[in-house]
Amino acid sequence: MIKFVVFICGAVVMSFEILGSRVLAPNFGSSVFVWGSLISVFLAGLSAGYYLGGRLADINPSSRKLSLIIIAPGLLFLTFPLYSGPISDWIFMKDLGVRLSPLFASSVLFLIPSVFLGIVSPYTAKLMICSLHTSGKTIGTLYALSTFGSIIGTLITSFYLITLAGVNALIVGQGVLLIALAIPLYFMNLSCSIEHTGPSGLMSDTK
Amino acid sequence: MIRICCLLVLCLALLSLKGFALEPSEKLLFEKNSLYQYIQVIDDTVKKERYVRNQKREFTQGGIYLNAPDKLLFEFTQMGFVSLAFLDRDPKDVLFVGLGAGAMPKYFTGRYPDAVIDIAEIDPDMVTVAQKYFYFKESESMKVHVDDGRLFVKRAKKKYDWIILDAYQNDYIPFHLTTLEFLKEVKSKLKDDGVVVANIASPYRNKFFDSMVMTYEKAFPHLVIFKGKTSANFIFVATTGSKIRDKNSVEARARKIQSARKFDIDLEDIASRYEPSAVYEWRGAKILTDDFAPVNLYQHQKSGAQ
Repeated sequence: MIKFVVFICGAVVMSFEILGSRVLAPNFGSSVFVWGSLISVFLAGLSAGYYLGGRLADINPSSRKLSLIIIAPGLLFLTFPLYSGPISDWIFMKDLGVRLSPLFASSVLFLIPSVFLGIVSPYTAKLMICSLHTSGKTIGTLYALSTFGSIIGTLITSFYLITLAGVNALIVGQGVLLIALAIPLYFMNLSCSIEHTGPSGLMSDTK
Repeated sequence: MIRICCLLVLCLALLSLKGFALEPSEKLLFEKNSLYQYIQVIDDTVKKERYVRNQKREFTQGGIYLNAPDKLLFEFTQMGFVSLAFLDRDPKDVLFVGLGAGAMPKYFTGRYPDAVIDIAEIDPDMVTVAQKYFYFKESESMKVHVDDGRLFVKRAKKKYDWIILDAYQNDYIPFHLTTLEFLKEVKSKLKDDGVVVANIASPYRNKFFDSMVMTYEKAFPHLVIFKGKTSANFIFVATTGSKIRDKNSVEARARKIQSARKFDIDLEDIASRYEPSAVYEWRGAKILTDDFAPVNLYQHQKSGAQ
């Protein structure tokens, strides 16, 4: 389950980034400044998320808290169409220049969700590490799953999803997906001591 | 060690490859990976023509006859001028979105020296290329603004008589220059009875073409389409007035402009290809919006019509 969560969160981050370029273009164009802003804001969000996630993971980590961490960006995505238009229009009117306008807009629209999605990786690592002997393997697996999710998210979004539905519908869909994932997580109370005796056998090799 | 050397040689060989192989008759004058595209300027020494293009031969953005740089080489640039026959007056304020080799504005300013022309072009290297290789010159009345076309239109303080939409990247129009919202912004920058003309390339009837017809129809009260004879281009002419000129009146007006402004292209012949947009309508096509505009994917899907 946790591995699946990491995969989906990885996919959602990059899918959101692709859709982000579409969100920005009407008000900020598609210049290199827009792409540069978009990518750097996502990376800033993820690195802040990794840092915070590591800190949080050391304070009584639980899958219940993880579920709340995932619900937060889910709610932001669900309501994204309500605030993205007005915020973009407002920043367009302010006109901070060709570089600052898209950078500011990206920060307001994309930074917070990517911080939360960044928290997921180190947090799940802590939840899944049951033995120092295999911690490298666990972390490596999670990194790979998260990045593999990102690849899938990027490809599916740019190759298919964009023809199927509008940008706003897709972002709301991602919100639904995250919340649908977080709700069972809330009640599951996963941690490694339970996991490796559980029927899934996910963690059977960690002790 | 040997393997590494082989790999290095292979990498270097790949790097030094041109965008694509040149014909023996083609001479490379300039190439560059700009911020937005691969730009290549070549001379065809047999045809005596010069082109600027992207990665493929089909992605030609503009060109000139080497012996007659003031003539219009490409059909789509000639066809665009038919839209002048939809105006009741001489255009005074004109906006080009997309510069290319600068052939259209150069040709236009030669015939309408009193018009004030703005050109929005996102790629600064394209401006340099137009100036250096295609005899394009800025002047008091003709200014290039290095800016995203959408942003230039949104921020424009003045209104225009004639707006020409011809911004391409390789073989496609950037999605934010195809949407209903963009066309409405364009419309809001038109004077009363102003005219918009767009070059829509569609090698075969694809879904993108279908959607463009529906989107322009939604944004403007009237749309007339002219089909290229020798090229895969369609010229969309949209007007904001309450009524649009019929075919006879456009032909008559084209004839008049042709002789008054000394056009060396057959405007009247182009005008005779007048087709109301209803001919190309396919009701199943989706209108492109800022929210939904899969431009690249639609270009590779066959039209739903027929």
